[in-house]
Amino acid sequence: MKYVALIIPVLFLALFAYALFKKVKLYDCFTAGIKEAAPLVLSLFPYLAAILILSELFEQSGLSGYLTAFLSPAFRVLGIPPEISKLVLLKPFSGSGSTALLSEILAEYGADSYIARCACVAYGSSETVFYILAVYFAGIGKRRIRPVVISLFAGFASVILGCFLCRFL
Amino acid sequence: MNAIFAVVFFVSAVLFLFTNPNGFLSAMLSGGEKAATLSLSLLAVYCVWLGFFKVMEQSGLSGKLAGCVYPLAKRVFRSDDKEGVYLASCNLSANILGLPGAPTPLGVKAVKRFTDAGNHYGADMLFVLNATSLQLLPTTVIALRLAAGSTAAADIFLPTLISTLFSTLLGAILVYLTRSRK
Repeated sequence: MKYVALIIPVLFLALFAYALFKKVKLYDCFTAGIKEAAPLVLSLFPYLAAILILSELFEQSGLSGYLTAFLSPAFRVLGIPPEISKLVLLKPFSGSGSTALLSEILAEYGADSYIARCACVAYGSSETVFYILAVYFAGIGKRRIRPVVISLFAGFASVILGCFLCRFL
Repeated sequence: MNAIFAVVFFVSAVLFLFTNPNGFLSAMLSGGEKAATLSLSLLAVYCVWLGFFKVMEQSGLSGKLAGCVYPLAKRVFRSDDKEGVYLASCNLSANILGLPGAPTPLGVKAVKRFTDAGNHYGADMLFVLNATSLQLLPTTVIALRLAAGSTAAADIFLPTLISTLFSTLLGAILVYLTRSRK
């Protein structure tokens, strides 16, 4: 694990040394890159805001709770412990929300329990699809629904596989 | 997306109406607040990485790397746009390494280039590869487990890796199978 921390500093050092060697004006160049940051964020903002407002409504209205209760039996059949079904449903919507939920599950059931391990695998093998949708497809006129459905489906399938693997790995 | 937005919005709003009418506006406001804080942290991340990538570009390193990955990556994304394919490949490598924040600006630019060129297949493929999680080391999870007192925090590494590879592969195959034929 220690060496992983070295990746980023070494990456920067190596690049900047190479750039100096190539006689790049580092300061001018670095600032030219940063110039693009604000317009990029501004162009994403409306989509990000709409999606986050929607996921907040979804969460706080209790809709996600009802959906969880409704789907838990089906999840059980597929081998997903009902205790983590809320996490499975929340993950596509909210990264910070599911991180909080994961640490609650870890605290409640113990970090090394089967449920906690399933939760970790479910968390680690899926992504906040709607967030990525908001950011990546922001400002693109025609909204794409197919890749979203595919991602959600593939993510869900990997949760089933992960819970299965946790039984003996 | 418009349909999803409308359905989730109406059902949630009606639920609020019956259970907790006061919570409605505050829930929306907290969503807006999250968007504002998230944008600020995105801005911070972009400053660092867009600066980094500009240095990479001007030192000529981007061009060299692009030349190396182009033959393979152009098939994955079905694109002849060298710049777009390069951005997309960088996005994937940053994802695999788990460099925090680095993939996003690259991915956004690549998706825009593909879409502008009418290559929806490439844009969809890149989106699905991103949205099915490629990260090799689940660093957040391991850190959380350590914090919760796990004795073998890294033992979820293998099942996570297998299931995330599976989801990425499944996603890519599905994009390939459902592509529109022109």
